Amino acid sequence: MVELNAHTVVFAIFSIITLGGAVGVVWNRNLVSSSYWLIFSLFGVAGLFVLLSAPFLAAVQVLVYIGAVGILITFSVMLTRGMTQIKDVFNRQSAASGVVAVLLFVVLLVGVVLPVWGPSGALSSAPASDVVATTAELGVALVDGSQYVLPFELVSLLLTAALLGAIVIARDQDK
Amino acid sequence: MMFNLALFVILCPLAGLCLNLAGSRWLRAPMAGIIASIAAAASFFFAASQLIALQTQPQGTIVVLGDWLPLLGVQWALQVDALSVTMMLLVTGVGTLIHVYACGYMRGDAGYTRFFVYLNLFLVAMLLLVMADNYVLLFAGWEGVGLCSYLLIGFWFDKANGVGTRNSDAARKAFVVNRIGDVGLLLALLLLYVNLGSLNFDAVFAQAAATLSAGAPLAVVIALLLFVAVTGKSAQIPLFVWLPDAMAGPTPVSALIHAATMVTAGVYLMARSQVFFDLAPLAQNVAVLVGAGTAVLAATIAVGQYDIKRVLAYSTISQLGFMVAAAGLGAYAAALFHLITHAFFKALLFLAAGSVIHGVEHGQSATGLYSAQDMRALGGLRRRMPVTFATFLIGALALAGLPPLAGFFSKDEILAAALAENTLVCALLALTVLLTAFYVGRQTLAVFLGEARSEGAAHAHESPAVMTLPLVGLALLTAFGGFMGIAAWLGGVFGEHTPEANVWLMGGATLLALAGIGLAWRMPLVKGRMPCALQNGWWIDTLYGWLIVRPFQWLGGQLARFDRGGLGWLEQRLAAGVRGASWLMSKTQTGQLNWNGVGIVAALALVLAAAVLGGGA
Amino acid sequence: MGEFDLLSSLPAIAPEIGLTILIFVAVLLDSFLHESQRKGIAYVAALGMAALAIVPIIPGWAPEPGPTGDYLFWGGMIRHDALAQIFRIMVLASGALTCLMAVDAKRVGNKGEFYTIVLVATLGASLLSASADLIMVFVALETLSIALYCLAAFKRNDSKSTESGMKYFLFGAFSSAIMLYGFSLLYGFTGQTNLYALAQFMGTEAFANNAVPVLAAMVMVIVGFGFKISAVPFHFWTPDVYEGAPTPVTAFLSVASKAASFAVMMRFFIAVFPNDLVIGDYVIQNFWVQFMAAAAVISMTLGNVIALSQKNIKRLLAYSSIAQAGYVLMGVAALQATTPLGAERAVASVGFYLFMYTFSNLLAFAVIILFSEATGSETIADLAGLNRRSPWLALTLTIALLSLAGVPPAAGFFGKFYLFTAAVEADLVWLAMIGVLNAIVGLYYYLVVIKVMYVDRSEDEDKPIPTSQTYRWVLGVATLAVIILGTVGAQVIFEWAVQGAGTLFALLPGVF
Repeated sequence: MVELNAHTVVFAIFSIITLGGAVGVVWNRNLVSSSYWLIFSLFGVAGLFVLLSAPFLAAVQVLVYIGAVGILITFSVMLTRGMTQIKDVFNRQSAASGVVAVLLFVVLLVGVVLPVWGPSGALSSAPASDVVATTAELGVALVDGSQYVLPFELVSLLLTAALLGAIVIARDQDK
Repeated sequence: MMFNLALFVILCPLAGLCLNLAGSRWLRAPMAGIIASIAAAASFFFAASQLIALQTQPQGTIVVLGDWLPLLGVQWALQVDALSVTMMLLVTGVGTLIHVYACGYMRGDAGYTRFFVYLNLFLVAMLLLVMADNYVLLFAGWEGVGLCSYLLIGFWFDKANGVGTRNSDAARKAFVVNRIGDVGLLLALLLLYVNLGSLNFDAVFAQAAATLSAGAPLAVVIALLLFVAVTGKSAQIPLFVWLPDAMAGPTPVSALIHAATMVTAGVYLMARSQVFFDLAPLAQNVAVLVGAGTAVLAATIAVGQYDIKRVLAYSTISQLGFMVAAAGLGAYAAALFHLITHAFFKALLFLAAGSVIHGVEHGQSATGLYSAQDMRALGGLRRRMPVTFATFLIGALALAGLPPLAGFFSKDEILAAALAENTLVCALLALTVLLTAFYVGRQTLAVFLGEARSEGAAHAHESPAVMTLPLVGLALLTAFGGFMGIAAWLGGVFGEHTPEANVWLMGGATLLALAGIGLAWRMPLVKGRMPCALQNGWWIDTLYGWLIVRPFQWLGGQLARFDRGGLGWLEQRLAAGVRGASWLMSKTQTGQLNWNGVGIVAALALVLAAAVLGGGA
Repeated sequence: MGEFDLLSSLPAIAPEIGLTILIFVAVLLDSFLHESQRKGIAYVAALGMAALAIVPIIPGWAPEPGPTGDYLFWGGMIRHDALAQIFRIMVLASGALTCLMAVDAKRVGNKGEFYTIVLVATLGASLLSASADLIMVFVALETLSIALYCLAAFKRNDSKSTESGMKYFLFGAFSSAIMLYGFSLLYGFTGQTNLYALAQFMGTEAFANNAVPVLAAMVMVIVGFGFKISAVPFHFWTPDVYEGAPTPVTAFLSVASKAASFAVMMRFFIAVFPNDLVIGDYVIQNFWVQFMAAAAVISMTLGNVIALSQKNIKRLLAYSSIAQAGYVLMGVAALQATTPLGAERAVASVGFYLFMYTFSNLLAFAVIILFSEATGSETIADLAGLNRRSPWLALTLTIALLSLAGVPPAAGFFGKFYLFTAAVEADLVWLAMIGVLNAIVGLYYYLVVIKVMYVDRSEDEDKPIPTSQTYRWVLGVATLAVIILGTVGAQVIFEWAVQGAGTLFALLPGVF
């Protein structure tokens, strides 16, 4: 059974923040409020990173997702004023998607989570890694030829392309 | 090595075809015909080179060009031996003359270039058929000539022929009937590959000779299946009904494809696959009976026809029956000999008939009661078209089997072979000889003698030299084909000795032919009424219509109704589902995405659920 | 893992290095050239990619095992084997032809950004075909996808194009998320990200008697691949995106993205779920083989049936491409062959099919681009009389469609032949039968298009379709490729693919 200690309590709090924020995003009629809920949810994720001994990721999460992405979304919502009010929270697929989502959740819970990480799961006894990767190690891993340099460099090209594409799509009328 | 030139036999018409195809926009009327004719002539030249090559190496060779289907052990390879060289020479030689003739015949037709493209394509396919060293390549050629036949019968697809059926229907009929035969060939090929492990001629024949005993069920089944293919392509009972309708095509086509070459592919197939027929006496008997039966039946129908080309068509069927019967008797040399002489004189007859049609059509001011092909509307052309008359007469006498023309010798050999094997068959064939002389005699009399019976015939004029010269060429071949040593050469090929000349048989056959001509003189075509049964070909088409076509049409109608009602509904729903979704999309922008997202997740959840319930633990 | 050796690692990403250089060249040219001269970038990009496509064919440049004794390079991120090379050639060739096809397209051809993004997409697809690590797979896939989202929405004033970009993006993000979840499960189970390392941990006792978690992760990953190859039921985006996207983009995403995804999917199955992986009593391979077979049947049938009733040629090709994905999935299912040679032939049949599909489909799209640029129409009925307008164009499209239908002597015949043979050899005779039936259904709608071009008449028969010199080259090269692959080249390329497939299986046990 799951022990009740500080770790679990904090985990529960951050999980509630994450999930509650996500629910707030989809449940809200006002897009501006939705974007605030999103920031709230992303903050919960940052907390979960801290719990997982990944302080750097937590910091990045706060900086990039909350600092940059969240703010950007808020701005763009405010700039596209016509869409700030949505008439219906529930569209006509909601019933079907609810059923499907619950089904998927149950299946994953019964089929994957419980047998693997559940109380008597296959990996429940596996010790959690106590290695805390330092920022320096992370930095080295990203530029090391026998680690992650290739995906890292590729991401830079990916971002270039995304930037170019965004400019093309957002640019004013063709002359 | 001279054998390596074999490839050029096929490449020449292929080049001509490509040239005409590429230049279809620039080439004006005579050029396309000239290119095609030159291609055919060049092909004949290379075929002749193969004949010379055979002098030094009589057993021939296989020219391998490359791998094709290694899985089946099949290569691009050409077989050059006496049999294939004989066919090559025939196809390219007669083909060249008919190409030249067509240059004149087709002049002014809107599809001039298209016609010569098809004609060259036919040569390619036919050469592939006879030069293949394996059954797969042979099958490719077999299908190819079928396709060309279909295209050329329906060449004037927007017109109707004299009988009232549309030309496109005739083409479709030929195509469908031939498919039945092709199924037989395909099944035979499958059986061959599964049981003998190869499709190469040499390997298959060696394997069959080694493992199968005479009368083995496998050999019988294969031989019978091959024979089904023969009845389709060579227009034998019960699949002969397509050939008369095939006369809807231009006359050079009738001459080249439906008299001289393609229809003889069945006989070639029997000669090539003689190993199987020799191992299957049952199949041989079937072949003999079918052949002889077809010969008589078609000859009787020919007696009852008024259309100048349909008489010749039924005559072709009848003569093909002769060849098939001979091949069934094991007299392959005689069958091949008759194949060659028949190609000469039947091509000649068709081309001469075409010349008649051409001349009469040009003389015809207004369309009268009869078409230009109706013999009741002809007559008296002897003086107006002397060259055509002379050549037609030579062809007719050869067909009747009078000495010393080519047809006499080849027919005589088959009769001799039949007499040696089976008296009944000999009697049937003899009856055919009589009937043949009768109908061809009546035809000659009706067309060329007497007085003109229509305005068109009265104002007909001789065809241009480009058409009459090939006639003369074929007439020469017909006249002297019997003396060119073809029989002896073929006897050597098949290891059969030419039977001793049987003077009694020769004399009897000649007398029969003369009797037939005499009867024709006494009972001219235009006098008296034609028996209804003969005129309608023993109502066989009607019978097939009731027994086969109607039920199929009914079934097709039912299926179509089911298709519209059931499957069509389903199909429309399916497509309408997608269309409706995109309609939703345009209205609400997100409608479709949501549903599809739900769909994907639902699929995922269901698969996972299936895995949890059934797959795990 | 051995010491990192830069010199021996560079050849493994030679095409990608070349592409990166081309990307920079394209960006620079874009800023220095005048707008009317920017078409030149297309030629630079196309020539560059064509050159890169030829590099792997140079004798002596065949992939060799790296310092660690296997084909893995860059920390196991990519596996530089012959099969990867074959797929890279396909991807590069389609990139090159796409650039040339876009030259004359309105509102696309004179944009330098277009070519830059095509180059990035090609780079992603190229790396994707060689990826051997979950991280690399995902990043490469996203590089390809994000570039394609931008390209699909490239005509920003065209509502259809924007809609298709949006739709493609939403679906892509959706399926990527599911796939990423699958990846994270796999990582969670094993603590490994390398495909070749995953398999070994999968067999350990932690999973000794419960296959469900592994299957769940696998299914989620399949969703991501299924989206890219547009297999049913992950195909919903295909028709709308195909129709709305600028046609050169449609051409590109119908071939390059599909080919690369098939490559990585086969690699994924073979590496992570090899045929000797048994969990409990459950042979994992059976599951994905059945899954692939079922997806093949549904994709073929659905694609072909719906294609029957299409009026728009691009939508027709979209459904046709769903059906074609179904045929190829048969080859993937045939990986269950019990002999190594059988499995190699299955891989090779997939490779050959995609190789010929690349050229056939590009050829069809090239003609459609020409036609719609000249007439502004994409409906099948408007193709009427094309034979009289531009006989060569009609002939070219006929060859392409016949190849897609699988009629000899076009390349498609051998493509289907090898696939069906592979299925039969893998004891999937029923699957091959369904494939043959579907090929017959497919033949019908391709023939309908051909009939419209050759038989139907139209009022515009005296107006030929203008064809520029560039296009003549594109059409000529692609037609030649289709014919060669259908005749003399079929066996050569197939044998080459079989050898390539050999390296895919080579050195599999004990990679690390």
